[in-house]
Amino acid sequence: MALDTSIIAGGWLAAGLTIFLFSFLYKDNPFFKIAEHLYLGAGMGWLFQVSVTSVWIPKIWEPVSKGELLVIIPSVMGLLLLTQFIPKISWLSRYGFTFMMGYGSGLAIPAGLSTDFMSQIEGTIRPFSKLASMTPFSILSSLIVAAGTICVLFYFFFSVEHKGHLKKVSNVGIYFLMIYFGAAFGNTVMARFSLLYGRFDDLFTFSGASYFYATQAILAAMVIYFVIHWLVSGRKPASEEEAA
Amino acid sequence: MKETLQKFFKIDRRWIFLLLAVTLFVPIVKPIGLPNKSISQATTRVYENIEKLPAGSFLLLSLDYDPSTRPELHPMAMALVRHAFSRNLRVGVVTYIAGSTGLIEELFAKVGKEYNKKDGTDYVILPYQPNILAVMTQMSSDMYGIYSKDRNGTPIAGMPVLKGVKSYKDMSLVVCVTGTAILDYWVAYVGDKYSVPVAGGVTAISQPGYGPYLQTNQLKGLIGGMKGAAEYESLIKQPGKGTSGIDALNLAHLLVLVLILTSNIILLFVKYF
Repeated sequence: MALDTSIIAGGWLAAGLTIFLFSFLYKDNPFFKIAEHLYLGAGMGWLFQVSVTSVWIPKIWEPVSKGELLVIIPSVMGLLLLTQFIPKISWLSRYGFTFMMGYGSGLAIPAGLSTDFMSQIEGTIRPFSKLASMTPFSILSSLIVAAGTICVLFYFFFSVEHKGHLKKVSNVGIYFLMIYFGAAFGNTVMARFSLLYGRFDDLFTFSGASYFYATQAILAAMVIYFVIHWLVSGRKPASEEEAA
Repeated sequence: MKETLQKFFKIDRRWIFLLLAVTLFVPIVKPIGLPNKSISQATTRVYENIEKLPAGSFLLLSLDYDPSTRPELHPMAMALVRHAFSRNLRVGVVTYIAGSTGLIEELFAKVGKEYNKKDGTDYVILPYQPNILAVMTQMSSDMYGIYSKDRNGTPIAGMPVLKGVKSYKDMSLVVCVTGTAILDYWVAYVGDKYSVPVAGGVTAISQPGYGPYLQTNQLKGLIGGMKGAAEYESLIKQPGKGTSGIDALNLAHLLVLVLILTSNIILLFVKYF
């Protein structure tokens, strides 16, 4: 099935920008710079249009046009934040920040205390209230969670010198932390591979006849560029050029 | 001998990049079909929570990811929507990431057609909203106070998909798919505060951090990364991009393991022999 011209053009653009950005892994080059600057510019443009179409027009312009003048107050407070750039009147920005701080703290502190503090303490203790109905594996799991929590908390308790039994407990806490960091690192590697797989999957899609072999064409053009550059720059390996 | 082995540590890292690229690319060109046999309990819990909902229940999806995390999150969002449609659930979609709007359109254009579901009748896509906390708070009392129209500008009041839905108490489950901290907000400001069941789908990087919420049941389930997407596709028996990515992930992980083991063995050999 023949694809629409705009889809094919989009495929060439996506394949080109992906290959340009990946080309940095070989060495810095103008194509990488083009893609990098284009990304920054497009990102800023995108954010600007989002601010205008999703915030400015529906949240300020339309209500004011309908006579809902109350929205002017938060709008002015928001604009006051910009006075930070004018030293003489920068004190005005405090009013906006004060509101943001009060509003943010009011929402975040109770929710944080309840969700991340009380509920987590409860979650660590509660299993021990129903040991009779738990399987041996669940009991062991709950013991490990409780022991891990206590040991890690001791590790972060700095008001007492870590020596004797306290040192032993906090050392166990380090092992729990290391297990977490190991799991987090493993997952990070997996996530990065998934993202790379996603780009390769797209490159493979764009390598088809329906996209007029966009991936192969751009890849070949990049290889030709690097070969010519290598010949012109006196046949220095890329690693030496970077060192120079 | 030692000198020869030590050269291994000075290898140009670009050879490793190339090796990794080939390892990931080969299964895309020629799928090997490595099985995905382990399904985590956290993913199963999301599946079971949706599976037990009666037909016609309202499922709120918060799809908050942009193209930067698409390979991991789009397959799981697609699997979730497929599951919801196959169970004849009503689906509402909100987003707090502007960059996700195009992906949401793409998703529902495809899956909606597969299940013959109609916009406004079976699902509704609400527009992007800034200031997530204000929106979440408002939705607890009256969602029409913040969302009066869908993303095409059609008024949502009276839409069949939203019949009887006014606030969180009318929603059976909230599932947030995100690569950001938005799932934390759903847990803290909606799940815990209004006793709404909240489940999530996150990138593999964020996954370990949600363990405590799973243990306390503050999160009803969690799909993690491309592996999680593949697991969910297995559960609904509809292989997609998550499943096809497992080949590449398995091989890439194998390569990393081989490289770590080889370098450690060489290091030990150089040091002690």
